[in-house]
Amino acid sequence: MTLLDSRDLALIAAIVALGWVGIWLLLPHRHGGVKTARAYRVGALLSAIAVLLVLPYLTPPGDLLARLFFYSFSLLALLGAVLMITARNPVNSALWFAVVVLSSSGLFLLAGAQFLAAGTVIVYAGAIIVTFLFVIMLAQSHGQAIYDRSARRPLAASLTGMLLLGALISAIIAPGATRKDGDPAPIYSVGAIADQPPADGPIAAVTAQALTETSRLPRPLEQGETPAHVAGLGATLFTDHLLTVQVVGLLLFVALIGAVAIATPKAPIRPDRSTASSSPGSATTNPGGVS
Amino acid sequence: MAESLIRNVWLIPLLPLLGGLIAILGGRRLNGWNHIPVVAGIGLSFLLSAIILLGMEGAHETEAYSWIGIAPTSSAADPSSGPNGWSLVVPVEFRVDGLTIMMLTMVTFVAALVAVFAAGYMVGDPGYPRFFFVFGLFVFSMTGLVSSSNFLLTYAFWEGVGVCSYLLIGFWYAKPAAAEAAKKAFLVNRVGDFGFAIALFLLWTYAPNHDLSYANILTIETRDALANTELLFGQSALFWIVALLFWGATAKSAQIPLYVWLPDAMEGPTPVSALIHAATMVTAGVYLLARTSLLLAAEPALQMVVAVIGCATALLAALIALTQTDLKRVLAYSTVSQIGFMFMGIGAGVGHIAQFAIIGALFHLFTHAFFKALLFLGSGSVMHAMGGVIDMRRFSGLRHRMPYTCWTFAIGALALCGLPPFAGFWSKDEILASLKAAGHDEHVASGGVYTGIYWVATFTALLTAFYTGRAFFLTFFGPEKLPSPDDPEALGADDHHGAHASSDHAALGVDTPAPDSPELSRYEAAMGSHRPEVGSHAPGASATPHEPASHGHGHDDGHHGHDSHFGHESPPIMTVPLMVLAAGAVLVGILFGPPTHWFGHLIEETPSFELLGHGEHAFDWGTAVSGTLAGLIGLGLAALMYARRTEIPARISALVPPLAKASWNKFYVDEIYALLIVTPTRLVATACRYFDVYVVDGLVRLVAFVPRLIGGDALRPIQNGLIQSYAVMTAMGVALLLIVLMFVG
Amino acid sequence: MTDPSFPFEYLSNYLIIGAALMALGMLGFLSRRNLIVMFLSAEMMLQGVALTLVGFSRYHGNWTGQVFTIVMLTVAASEAALALALILVLFHRIRSLDVTLWQDLRETGLPESVDTSGAEPYEPVPGPESYPHLTPSGVEPPHPRQPWEQRRG
Repeated sequence: MTLLDSRDLALIAAIVALGWVGIWLLLPHRHGGVKTARAYRVGALLSAIAVLLVLPYLTPPGDLLARLFFYSFSLLALLGAVLMITARNPVNSALWFAVVVLSSSGLFLLAGAQFLAAGTVIVYAGAIIVTFLFVIMLAQSHGQAIYDRSARRPLAASLTGMLLLGALISAIIAPGATRKDGDPAPIYSVGAIADQPPADGPIAAVTAQALTETSRLPRPLEQGETPAHVAGLGATLFTDHLLTVQVVGLLLFVALIGAVAIATPKAPIRPDRSTASSSPGSATTNPGGVS
Repeated sequence: MAESLIRNVWLIPLLPLLGGLIAILGGRRLNGWNHIPVVAGIGLSFLLSAIILLGMEGAHETEAYSWIGIAPTSSAADPSSGPNGWSLVVPVEFRVDGLTIMMLTMVTFVAALVAVFAAGYMVGDPGYPRFFFVFGLFVFSMTGLVSSSNFLLTYAFWEGVGVCSYLLIGFWYAKPAAAEAAKKAFLVNRVGDFGFAIALFLLWTYAPNHDLSYANILTIETRDALANTELLFGQSALFWIVALLFWGATAKSAQIPLYVWLPDAMEGPTPVSALIHAATMVTAGVYLLARTSLLLAAEPALQMVVAVIGCATALLAALIALTQTDLKRVLAYSTVSQIGFMFMGIGAGVGHIAQFAIIGALFHLFTHAFFKALLFLGSGSVMHAMGGVIDMRRFSGLRHRMPYTCWTFAIGALALCGLPPFAGFWSKDEILASLKAAGHDEHVASGGVYTGIYWVATFTALLTAFYTGRAFFLTFFGPEKLPSPDDPEALGADDHHGAHASSDHAALGVDTPAPDSPELSRYEAAMGSHRPEVGSHAPGASATPHEPASHGHGHDDGHHGHDSHFGHESPPIMTVPLMVLAAGAVLVGILFGPPTHWFGHLIEETPSFELLGHGEHAFDWGTAVSGTLAGLIGLGLAALMYARRTEIPARISALVPPLAKASWNKFYVDEIYALLIVTPTRLVATACRYFDVYVVDGLVRLVAFVPRLIGGDALRPIQNGLIQSYAVMTAMGVALLLIVLMFVG
Repeated sequence: MTDPSFPFEYLSNYLIIGAALMALGMLGFLSRRNLIVMFLSAEMMLQGVALTLVGFSRYHGNWTGQVFTIVMLTVAASEAALALALILVLFHRIRSLDVTLWQDLRETGLPESVDTSGAEPYEPVPGPESYPHLTPSGVEPPHPRQPWEQRRG
C-alpha cells in the first residue's frame, strides 16, 4: 500500500488535531478557570471545522437531490454523534442518538436498503423509548449527577477516538484502496474474485464453489435502475441465510431469558427512603442503599 | 451349547466384573446385600466354565475385540522382512484349551466359595460394597489372565490382579500395617513386572511378525528362531526371554528373592488371603511358566535354576513356618513353600518326562487351591470367633467350641501334609516322582542336582507336615483357652510384626477397621436395620442376647463380653463353604488325579504341551511311600510335641538357639532387604528431594521473581479494574496498529 | 460483479461516515461515566458498522451485507436487553450509574483510582429543576418487611 500524499496527510492530521481539541473542550469536565459556556463554544467551532474537513473526502453522488439528501444526512449524523457523546443530560443523549439513527436510516434509503431503513427506525425507536424510561426511572430522581458532569480522562479518550478515526479514513482513502482499470485486481471484493476466470487447482475450485451465491442480483444493474426491493432481501434471508435466521431467533430467545434472569429482583427493590417513610422504625437493611 | 460358550468365553471374566460394578454402584442402597451380585456373577462364571470343561475338545481361540492395531509401515509390508516392518496387533483374544479351562474352573469355583464365606465374614464392615467390587474385579482380572490368548493381554490382566491385590491388602487402609503391607506387595510385584515387561519387549522385537499371540510364539519354529538370535553375553534371545519371564513369575508367585511381600499380605481380610494370596493369584507365575514351558524346555540351565529356586524357597519358607505363632502367617509361609514345590515341578520338566512334570506342577496348583483356601477360610473362621485374635498362643483347644471348623481344618491339614488319599498326596507325589525321574534320566546333564532337590523336597514335605500339625494342634487341641486382655501373652504378642508400633494395633485385631474411624459409625447407622437379620443366621447368636450396635466393635478385645459371635462356631454361611472345600480337598485327588488321569488328559489338550516330551510314566510306589512316610513322621512329631502341652518344643529351641531365633525372625530377610535396598533408595530419594526443593523449585521461584522485579510496579497499575481504561488501551492499540500497517504494509 | 450505478467512490462515502460514527461512539464509550450513555455510545458504534455493511452490500450488488445488518440489529437488540438488565442490577447495588465505582477487580493492593479531572460546576438550565415525580394514586399499602420470595409459602 502506498503512502498518502502530503496533502491528505496534512488534512487528516488536521481533522485529528481539531477533533481532539474540539471534543475535549466539548466533553463535560472542569476547564480550569475558563467558563464552561465559552469552552463549549470554542469546542463546537473546532469540531465543526473538523467535520467540514471530512467533506472533501466525500464524493457527491448522483443527481442534485441525491447530493442534497446525502450531505444533509451525513452532516446530521455526524453532528448528532458529537452532540450525543457530549450531552450533559442522558435524556439529551438519547434524543441525539435518535437523530443519528434517523439520519443513518436516511443513508440506508439512499443506498437502496429500504427494509433496513424502516426496520432500524422501528427497532431503535423502541430501544430509545426504553432508554428514556430507564433514564427517568434511575437517573432523574437526583437531578444532574456528578458523573454526568465529569468525563473520565477526556484528553486521552478523545485522542484515542480521533486517532482511530484518522487511521480509518487514511485506510479508506489510501491510493492502493482504489482500483484503477487495468490493474490486476487485488482482492477487495467478493464479486471481484467471483468474476475472475476460474484458475486451475483445488483452491480455485473450492473458491469458485464457495462463491457461487444465490443471493446475487440476477443481472448487473443498468444505469439508473434501482436494485430489487424487500422481496429480494426476504428471498435471500429465507433461502441462503435460513440457518442464520434460526440462529438469530435463538439468540433473541436466549437474551430474553437472560434479561429476565438477571433483572429478577433477588432483594427488595424499594429504596430505603420509601420504606423508612412509609413504615417508620422498620429495620430493613439494604446493602449499599445510601445514595 | 459348549460350542457357543467357547465362542463367547469372554462372558466368564465379564460376569464377575458386572457383579462387582453392581455391588459398588448399588452401594448402600443394596442395604448390605452387595455380595449377592458378585456371588451370582462368579457362580454363573463357574457354571459356564464347567459346561465348557465338559464339552470341550481341543483348543479354540476367539477374538472379541481388536484392542491395538498398528499396521506395519508400507516399506516393509512383507511380513518376512523381520524387525524392520514394525507393527503391533493386539486383539483382545481369548482361548479355550486344557490349561485355560482348568484354571478358569478352579478360580471361579474357589472364588465363588470364598465370596460366600466373605459375605458372612465381612458383615458389619463399612467397606462392604468396596470389598465386593474389588473382589469381582479381581476375579475378572484373574479369569482374564488365564484365558487371554496373547502375551500383552496376559500382561494387562497380570497388572490387574496386582492392583486388586494391592487394593485388598490395603483394604483397611486406616491401619498403618495394612497400608504398608499393600505398598510392599505392590512395589515388590513391580520389580517382577519389570522383568515381565522387558520379556515382552524382547518377544515383540524378535518374534516373527511381531505377533505376541500364544499361537505364534509357542511353536517349535519360533523357539528355534529365538534360540538362534544372539542377544547379550553370548546368550540367545530365548534365554533372556525365559529368564525374564521367570523373574516376573518369582514376584507374582512369591519365590526367592521376591517372596517377602506374601507373608505381610496377610494384613488383608482373611477371605482375600484365602483367594488371592493362597489359591489363585500367586499361582499366576506358575501358570505363566507352564504356559511358556515349551520355551523353558529349550533352556535346561534355566530349568535347573527354576527347580533350585523353588527348592530353596520351599525349604526356607517351611523353616520359617516352624516357629511362627500367627496362624495366618504359618499358612502364608506354607503357601510360599507349596508354590516352591510347583516351581520344582516346572523345573523338573526335562527330557522325556517334561509333560508329566508340568502336569504334576499344575495338578499341585489345582489341588493346592482347594486345600489352601480351605485352611485359610478355616483360620478366618477361627479369627472371626476369637474376635480378631490370630496369635496361636492366645487360644487353644477350640475343637469343642468350633467342631465344623476344626474338622474341616483337619482335612485341609491332612491334604497339605500329603497323606493319602487326600488331594495333596497325589499332586505332591507327582512332583516328587518327576524330580526323581529327572534325577535318574541319563539324558539330563546334571541329574545329580535333581536327585538332591528330590531329597530336599522330601525333607520339606516332612517339615510341612510338622508345621501344619503344629498349627492344627495348637489351635484345636490342648486345654481350652480363649483370648482375653488379661492374658500375659496379649501384650507384646505382636512384637514380631515389625510394623506394629504398639499392642493397641494388635488389640484392634487384624480384621477390624479402627473403631474410632468415622466410616464405622456412619456405616453402623446405615446398616443397623440389616444386622439383626444376619444375626438370625447364626445359631449361636440366637441363643445369646444380641446387641446390634456392639457388633462393629465386636473384634475389639475390650468388648468381648458383648460379642455374640465370640468363642462360638461361625454361622452356616461361613461353615458351608468350608465343608464344600473340604469335600474338594478329599476328592479332587482321587477323582482327577493319577487314579483316573482325567486331569492329565485335560491338560494334554493344550497345544503347546503336545510338543513337550511325553514318555510313559508309571506310578512310582517308592516316592509315594517315602512321601507318605515323611508326612506321617512330621505329623507324628507334631502330635507328640503339641497335642498336649509339653516342654519338648521349648527344650528343642533351647538346644539350637541361633536357628530357632533365626526362624522366629524369618531369617532376617526383611532386615537384609532394608539394609541393602531400602536404605540406599531412601538416601537417593532424600538427595533427590533436596535437589527438587532447592534447585528445581528455586529455579521456578527465580523465574517467577524476575518479572515481578522488572515490571511489577510499572505494569500493575494497568490492572486497575476500570473497564474504560481497558477499553482505552484496546482502542489505542487498534488505532496504532492500523497506522503502523499503513506505513509498513 | 459490482453495481455500475454505485462505484467505489460512493462506497467510500459510506465507509467514511460509518468510520466517523464508529470512532465517535468509541470516544463516547471511553469518556462518559454514565452507564446509560456508554450503552448508547456502543449502539452508535453498531450504527456505524451497519452503514458500512449496507454500503458494501450495495457496492457488491448482493444482499449479504444487508443480511449481516439484520443479524447485527438483532444482536444489538439482545445486547440492549441484557445491558439494560445489568444496568438495573448494578444500579440497585450502589444507587448510582457511575461506572468508575466498579473497580473491584483491580490488582490486589492497588489503591482505588479516583478521577482527578473534576466535574464542571453545576449550572442549572432554565426550566424545571427536574422531572416531575409521579404521585401515587390511592393509599400506599404498608410494605411487609420480608421480601416476597420469603413470604411465599
